[in-house]
Amino acid sequence: MPIIAGHIAFYYLAAASIASAVLAVTRRNPIHSMLWVLALFLHVAGIFLLAGAEFLAAVQVILYAGAILVFYLFFLMLLDLPGETAEPRFGAHWPLCAAAGLGFAALAWFARDPGLVPTAGREAATDASPGSLSAVGHVLFTRFTLPFEIVSLILLAAIVGAVVVAKRKAGA
Amino acid sequence: MVPVGACVGLGAVLFAIGLVGFLGRRNIILMLVSIEIMLNAVNVSLAAFSQHLHDSRGQIVALFVIAVAAAEAAVGLGLVLALARTRPGMKVEQLMELKW
Repeated sequence: MPIIAGHIAFYYLAAASIASAVLAVTRRNPIHSMLWVLALFLHVAGIFLLAGAEFLAAVQVILYAGAILVFYLFFLMLLDLPGETAEPRFGAHWPLCAAAGLGFAALAWFARDPGLVPTAGREAATDASPGSLSAVGHVLFTRFTLPFEIVSLILLAAIVGAVVVAKRKAGA
Repeated sequence: MVPVGACVGLGAVLFAIGLVGFLGRRNIILMLVSIEIMLNAVNVSLAAFSQHLHDSRGQIVALFVIAVAAAEAAVGLGLVLALARTRPGMKVEQLMELKW
């Protein structure tokens, strides 16, 4: 019975994610698009929870929905796009874009293996589930220490780069 | 427990939607948001594989993807801001020169 409930929840979340993504891409008003992207991110966080990735779900809500999307929203309101809702949303080449999207979706859909059987845990010694915070943290700070530090360097470079790029030129 | 095949299919569909948005929209900010949708689709696939293989490395790669998405948002929006100063009312098909 819990498996049935999990499947129902998954298919609801999947359908809601796809609908939110389609609405986000096609809405005329950019603010409405952002709010649909927010709905998409929250539903994807639910999918992470179902997939046993609790930490990832929390990061998704806090960082994606909380920080990145609010950043985009503030930015959109800062720019105050005039007459955005009156202009065409898509460029003249939109049939090509739709064809590319459909082609990619068909390719990926048919390339996936629907008969993936669950593998027995190869590292079955760990008693914690792979998604638990202690397991993720342990792997993150033992095997992935160097990539973790490099990510912090990338974030620092991004902060400095954003300030440099957005700064007013002294002469201009 | 989620069905892995369906989860990967969902990732593919979301990625395709983001691809259409990135290629088709005329507003640069919505193109950047479409990139975020694509990165999120990849994260869905990574989480599904992580659960399927009982290995937390997939989630760690997804965390790195989120960090890179944050960096991309910061730099991308900085570029859009610099562009909006010189060319207000930005539409991508009007940006055809290499340097302003």
